[in-house]
Amino acid sequence: MTADIATQAQQETVTFTVNGKTMQGRRGDSLLKVLLHEGYDIPHLCYHEAVTAYGSCRLCLVEVKKGRKTKVTTSCNYPLMDGIEVTTNSEKIRKHRKVVFELLLAQVPNSPELQSMAAQYGVTDTRFEKKYQDCILCGLCERVCREVVGVNALGFMGRGVEKDVGAPFKQPSKTCIGCGACVYVCPVNCIKEEQLPTKRTIVRWERNLPMQTCKRCGYPFAPTYQLLQMQKQTGLPWEFFELCPDCRDVKD
Amino acid sequence: MIEPFNVYAARLLPSQELFAQGHRACQGCGPALALRYLLKALGPETIVANATGCMEIISSSWPETAWGVPWIHVAFENAAAVASGVEAGSKALRRKGRIPDKKPTVVAIAGDGGTFDIGLQALSGALERGHDFIYLCYDNEAYMNTGIQRSSGTPFGAATTTSPAGSKSFGQKTWKKDLAAIGVAHHIPYVATASIAYPFDFVEKVKKAAAVEGPALIHVFAPCPTGWRTPSNLTVRLARLAVQTGMFPLYEVENGKYHMSVDLPFLKPLDDYLKPQGRYRHLTKDVIAVLKKGIDQRYNEILEKCEANHE
Repeated sequence: MTADIATQAQQETVTFTVNGKTMQGRRGDSLLKVLLHEGYDIPHLCYHEAVTAYGSCRLCLVEVKKGRKTKVTTSCNYPLMDGIEVTTNSEKIRKHRKVVFELLLAQVPNSPELQSMAAQYGVTDTRFEKKYQDCILCGLCERVCREVVGVNALGFMGRGVEKDVGAPFKQPSKTCIGCGACVYVCPVNCIKEEQLPTKRTIVRWERNLPMQTCKRCGYPFAPTYQLLQMQKQTGLPWEFFELCPDCRDVKD
Repeated sequence: MIEPFNVYAARLLPSQELFAQGHRACQGCGPALALRYLLKALGPETIVANATGCMEIISSSWPETAWGVPWIHVAFENAAAVASGVEAGSKALRRKGRIPDKKPTVVAIAGDGGTFDIGLQALSGALERGHDFIYLCYDNEAYMNTGIQRSSGTPFGAATTTSPAGSKSFGQKTWKKDLAAIGVAHHIPYVATASIAYPFDFVEKVKKAAAVEGPALIHVFAPCPTGWRTPSNLTVRLARLAVQTGMFPLYEVENGKYHMSVDLPFLKPLDDYLKPQGRYRHLTKDVIAVLKKGIDQRYNEILEKCEANHE
């Protein structure tokens, strides 16, 4: 039995090299995830370990040599495999990254987050025509809404230069529960949230969410739509959600 | 500003555990939670100088350690001094080219005793010299590690072993020292109070503190079930109630400008917070009235400062 587990673990463990240093990891893991955990400084905007990799920002480029073939690829959606040789900081990679930063800066020139990140790699201006958008279309908000929250309020629409992300038909969202996960993950902070004691607004999706007030202490504690979603997922009676978590088991 | 989040977003914090599980903290330990969030926010490029206290004891019992980052245990009084040394040393080595030119985040961690009482002069010195580091004070409101002695972080009315409640005494007779105000008085770029009940708020504040040039002071409120004589499942609830009753307002001060982190519609009744705690069990109505008055006054002072800044 123990021998079985040992061989299984051996099968899953792969050996690879990063900048000449030999390392071990689990087969199929995201290469970027492994590199970040090992402390390599690799810029990335569209990657988050809680959701599937998408590879849209193109910043996490690395050189991977597999067999006799070397290619430049995004590391976030590259699965770890045996015997690959990874180079994270060659001249070629730095050059590619600079171009990617310039392209991103052309799309979103006024984001302080992107500017400071680009400045670290020596890019302060772009030679391309500036589009003055505020979103880099990384799709993190959409993936988080679908995979982590499970609500599917957002999606991509259009193609090419007209591609956009948002609620269906660019109308005010009807299904957003106001959990704020998209606000939190947005790498360029273009999704804003306004919180008043009794109302929460997700500005970009034009969603107004009234806050549920606790029946016992009178404190607004979560958007009502969010509690409805929780009720749907857990199947608990609505009375359970009328009390805030602090009052649920208090006996008066 | 990101508001206190719901359970959905919890998975969005990094999964890497740099403050590993299996340490010796009590059930429901607040400070251990604070350290976990701290290292999730800072990541592996961090060096920690840890003063004597609960968190040093529980995380480093020989031959094991809970720390996934370089960590140094120092005496009670000099966490800030050692952190300044680490910061200056790393700067010098980087300038000489002995180590790669990559700036680590240096964090000094101490409890309320190690900050409010014993480590105050080292802290003041480090803030004044302007080292680029974070000072994190986890405040469980007494010297819990040595047996619940009072510190100057202990709030008015709380019973500890050296401020006992009885027929001649109602517990602690002095008010909690205002650490954030001491930090602000040094004119450092970033001072914040945080609470383990608002993890995303705390994580954002730590990230901000790491990003600023110069010293940053974070005062994080972390309940101690053992010392407070409470059930261990109430840790997070008490931390939240401390904020909602006005006992521990959450705010940040960036370059002297106050900003309230959590807008409260109204203050919850103080009894909600005091009732579950054994250390407040002896309080009579008139002592609670004095406590309430003092808390309201302090809360309103901070509120005024925040509003003055908005106008």
